[in-house]
Amino acid sequence: MTPILEAAGVAVGRGGVVLTGVDLAVRPGERIALVGANGSGKTSLLRVFAGLDRPLAGCLRWAGRALPSGNERVRTVGVLFQGEPASRFTVRELVTLGLALDGPPSAAARRQVDDALALAGLAPLAERSCATLSGGEAQRALLARALVAAPRLVLLDEPINHLDPAGRAMVEQLLDRLRGTVAAVIATHELALAASCDRVALLHDRRVFALGTPDAVLTPARLAAALGVEVRRLEDPDGGPPLFRVIAPCPGAREVAA
Amino acid sequence: MRPGAWVLVGVVACVVIGALAICVGSTGWRSPWQWTGMIAELRAPRVVLAGLVGSALAMAGVAMQAVLRNDLADPYVLGISGGASAGAVASLALWPGLAPGPAAAAGATGAVLLVRGLARGPYDPARLLLAGVAVGSVLASATGVILVLAPSSQLLRSTTSWLFGGIGTPHWSALVAPAIAVVVGVAWLTAQATRIDRLTLGADVAEALGVAVVRLRRGLLIAAVALTALAVAASGLIGFVGLIAPHAARRLVGQPHRHLIALSALAGAALVMGADAVARIAFAPRELPVGLVTASLGGPVFLWQLQRGPR
Repeated sequence: MTPILEAAGVAVGRGGVVLTGVDLAVRPGERIALVGANGSGKTSLLRVFAGLDRPLAGCLRWAGRALPSGNERVRTVGVLFQGEPASRFTVRELVTLGLALDGPPSAAARRQVDDALALAGLAPLAERSCATLSGGEAQRALLARALVAAPRLVLLDEPINHLDPAGRAMVEQLLDRLRGTVAAVIATHELALAASCDRVALLHDRRVFALGTPDAVLTPARLAAALGVEVRRLEDPDGGPPLFRVIAPCPGAREVAA
Repeated sequence: MRPGAWVLVGVVACVVIGALAICVGSTGWRSPWQWTGMIAELRAPRVVLAGLVGSALAMAGVAMQAVLRNDLADPYVLGISGGASAGAVASLALWPGLAPGPAAAAGATGAVLLVRGLARGPYDPARLLLAGVAVGSVLASATGVILVLAPSSQLLRSTTSWLFGGIGTPHWSALVAPAIAVVVGVAWLTAQATRIDRLTLGADVAEALGVAVVRLRRGLLIAAVALTALAVAASGLIGFVGLIAPHAARRLVGQPHRHLIALSALAGAALVMGADAVARIAFAPRELPVGLVTASLGGPVFLWQLQRGPR
């Protein structure tokens, strides 16, 4: 099966090289977490995957071809990045922009928008100005915009950062509903979210330090090396993904690993 | 009310204000059905030009606000007002017999090109605005130097009336170019409406949402400068229209540009036609510069809108 996104020997960075030799194939419906310390290149890599920056080296294919332009692009990749200020569009207007239409929406397009609003639990807020939403609602609106054109891949940069527990739970629930249908690459510091993914790429030392299943990658030794923290892994007695408790920083671990 | 209905209301308001503006004048009320010399040759073309200039400035304001992602931007940022006044005053000092419009338009365009050149590199609205402020103030002081070194009271008077704007008494043939520009401006900007919407979310978001950001931004900047240069050439510097008309329209139809562009153009037209009528009759037979009227009418309306809070 053609990968949804394929990176071969990709190097990324702005100014200097942040990451090199990234080889990654995202399969349809697969969910991959990018985990790494601040500055390890998670966001830079997502920007290159989104086609916003060119890679410094290497080759990228989206569903086996170059990234299309115009409104074909939003059917290929949906993005949710950090730090987008609230606009004064209504929630419905904002989500409609995710279709990248060049004119007013058709009846079919309006149905797509309604479906995305319902999926994100935003139907009752559809006519509200985005400037009046809570953090969790705003994040779900941006996610609905990323999903409205039914892309086969979404790129999410810290989707649950800065959200209160309820907002976090709602975004996680929304992500769960997409499982298996939309492939996702998620940059996150939340180890529990990473553990719920199909694969984890641990970024460290300017490369993909480890890539594999969460069980194989999110081990105390690897996390100590890549993130410089002592982590205790706690199994969920109900069979959910494991939990991670950060015990203490372990200075020097990065130097040992390097 | 639906956005489309607001555009219809705008059209009706423009027709009514335009008709009233044709009826009133320093020589009193005339019925517009008496299509005689004064109405047909003096008032009507003047009112139409006022409407066209208002539309051009309002649309330039919308485009500039989208390019700079700043609702406080108006058509005269990026050194345009400084360039236009330097061009106009130089023209008035050197060739007093000629109309200063073309030199003003050339000065405005030159100033923007200079600003864009000085702020080259990765696109940064803050850098562009700062370069605009710097170039604008250098050119404004150059204007002052010309005025001081060429001390003729005639020059001072013609300069003052130009700097605060004036519609004058144009011939019908002078309306062709502004009319074409306004029609093309409305059509092109409205065709770009959803792309402009996406651009207001930020360059990265717009790019990810399929917008060719660099090309769109260049197009909007060219449109804004062309419309402003045309308005400046026709009527000098008329302040506040490019700021207040888009704001008023946004209050009514919200952020999407699909109806915002047409409604801003209508609001700008209504504002300048009304202001010009006031300028003609308030102290008749003396005429006020229309820019003073737009500012003194626009300022309080703007403050009143601010007091009412966001939509």
